[in-house]
Amino acid sequence: MTTTLAGGRAARRQTMRRIRPRRSPAVPLLLAVGAGAAAVLWLWWTSTPSIADTTGKIIAAGRITGLLAGYLMALVVLQMARVPALERRVGSDRVARWHAMSGRYTVSLVVAHVFLIMWGYARQAGKTLSGIVSQTLTSIDTLPDMGKAAVGTGLLFVIAFLSIGPVRRRMPYDGWYHVHLLTYAAVFLTFWHQITTGNEFAVTPSAKTFWYGLYGAVTVLVLWYRIFTPIRLNLRHRMRVQAVIEETPGVVSVLISGHRLHRMGAEAGQFFRWRFLAPGMRFSSHPYSLSAAPRPDMLRITVKAIGDHSSRLRELEPGTRVWAEGPYGALTAQRRSRGKVLLVAGGVGITPMRALFETLPGASGDITLLYRANSTQDLALWGELAKIADERGARLMYAVNSPDGERPDISAESLRRKIPDVDRHDVFMCGPPGFAQQVYAALRDAGVPARRIHHESFEM
Amino acid sequence: MRKSHPVRRAVLATAATVSGIVLLLSLKPASDPGSAEAAGGAPPAAESVQGGARPVGDGTVTGDAAQTQYGAVQVRITVSGGKITKAEAVQAPKGGQSDQITSNAVPRLNQAVVRAQGADIDAVSGATYTSNGYKESLQSAIDKARASAPADTGNGAGGGDDAAQAQTVTGDVAQTQYGPVQVRITVSGGKITKAEAVQAPKGGQSDQITSNAVPKLNQAAVQAGTADIDAVSGATYTSEGYKESLQSALDKAGG
Repeated sequence: MTTTLAGGRAARRQTMRRIRPRRSPAVPLLLAVGAGAAAVLWLWWTSTPSIADTTGKIIAAGRITGLLAGYLMALVVLQMARVPALERRVGSDRVARWHAMSGRYTVSLVVAHVFLIMWGYARQAGKTLSGIVSQTLTSIDTLPDMGKAAVGTGLLFVIAFLSIGPVRRRMPYDGWYHVHLLTYAAVFLTFWHQITTGNEFAVTPSAKTFWYGLYGAVTVLVLWYRIFTPIRLNLRHRMRVQAVIEETPGVVSVLISGHRLHRMGAEAGQFFRWRFLAPGMRFSSHPYSLSAAPRPDMLRITVKAIGDHSSRLRELEPGTRVWAEGPYGALTAQRRSRGKVLLVAGGVGITPMRALFETLPGASGDITLLYRANSTQDLALWGELAKIADERGARLMYAVNSPDGERPDISAESLRRKIPDVDRHDVFMCGPPGFAQQVYAALRDAGVPARRIHHESFEM
Repeated sequence: MRKSHPVRRAVLATAATVSGIVLLLSLKPASDPGSAEAAGGAPPAAESVQGGARPVGDGTVTGDAAQTQYGAVQVRITVSGGKITKAEAVQAPKGGQSDQITSNAVPRLNQAVVRAQGADIDAVSGATYTSNGYKESLQSAIDKARASAPADTGNGAGGGDDAAQAQTVTGDVAQTQYGPVQVRITVSGGKITKAEAVQAPKGGQSDQITSNAVPKLNQAAVQAGTADIDAVSGATYTSEGYKESLQSALDKAGG
């Protein structure tokens, strides 16, 4: 599949559209979030005529942190609603990092809110700081919806604790994920006390409408994109495992058949979250990239056996039903800004690169693929890569460890030696974090602007 | 793939948040610069109270509502023979922590007023806002009482005019599930000429119900001349509380 530029206006327009990079909506989105936060602070400002003493200041600080936490909580949930604009244009990896970052910040605000409010109330009641615990119990007992809020907050703290790096790494992913889903319950439980006890909402009724609107919109988006959309997708396309092929030792490809798969709108470079309805795999869903451009009757993923889930893939029986959610990911041809493209793959990171290598529009010599693996035996999919390179006049290079185990030199000099005009390329990159970091540094040294290095990394 | 600095980021986020909050707090004035109405949501009672302040000299005068950070404070004083014989708060901060503070501070403030015979009373510690609001409303009540004092001079001699006979009586507070209800009636010539709620459930759904039900109940009370009025549908609790407080006001007026 090569693109001819002589294919008339329509084809040219199509190519141009693909080559003009679509701007990521990240900056406008962040501005909107900032404007919302400013509105929340303004709400506090207009609802507070004056602050007289230290107790008043403590309570006011508690209210500010509480309002901000309530606002951000809705956004933290929104970030995981799998909204296509976020998943496909900002990029799932970036949104996941935002989610982790804003989640940590929100939980910190909740801690500050609970502490400040209870401290302030304790002072009002003439208690000292040590009376904060008894004050908290009194408030839970007497204020409306505070019982629910206390349970929700406790739940939130448990979830936050389990998400701390070292704790999380000790938990099986699926267990962690299912506990993490309890966040919905925590958010629901803590929502009501904001409305019923929030001073700002009592003083400014329109703020209540805004709050209901915010949480209502997030609820609708979550239901729509996390529940309704996947159900519709899977009812339409009815995917099943067609075959499992061992590519190299430890790397398998899974061929998935289904109805009218081209209508799913998946592009090369994207991934789905896959759930194989086989015993023991039913309850876990994992993201794997498409390793070939989607065909109307077939999708292919290629997976390296690293974890529990990926090792089981080779035992999949043909005919096993597949539940997929997607497509997600922004590492597509839309990111490209100019003619020449360098694809860099590390290990099993070849999967999205393989799909892009085949489908990225470009003339002969425009596309280069650099494939890094431990040894030549680990160069999965090499045969088909060579064939694609041959067919479309693309360049294919590999870098493996020398027989004595020495790592190949990936530096600005070596890159420039192999690809003299490397600084005039768009670079798409996928690989393990350490490798990606090293290549990124080398590319920057070689003069590639940061905005033209496109990569996806699911490290938090 | 810019290097991430989680520790630096956390420190920056904390510093930015803390300094932002401190800045906001320090920009807020320490005392409310007389902006009683500025806070919005001034309770509806504040308006009608002024009308009820007509019988002066000996009688009750209700001050303007003073907005505090925790809610409105409104004071009514009873003047007899030129002296304040009674002070009471018809409104005071409610809900949450405020209940506790109000129930502690208000009785003390009431006592202090009768003792001091003026607004020059000490704030109750731990209830600074309530105390300040109380003093503000108290001062306005005293001002009103003074302003109408000239009319009062003829009261003892001539007597018998309508204003002197008109009597304003406030019923006891009736607690309902949604908040307290308190009714004040003006009785003239043995008839209820006016009924109003100085307190009624507020907040959320209650605002709507109150604004719908209370005017109807006020009318019904004037028409019936007794507490035997129909409950407003959709506002059963408020109606019950209203009738209870109305009955107590009628009892007081009769006795």
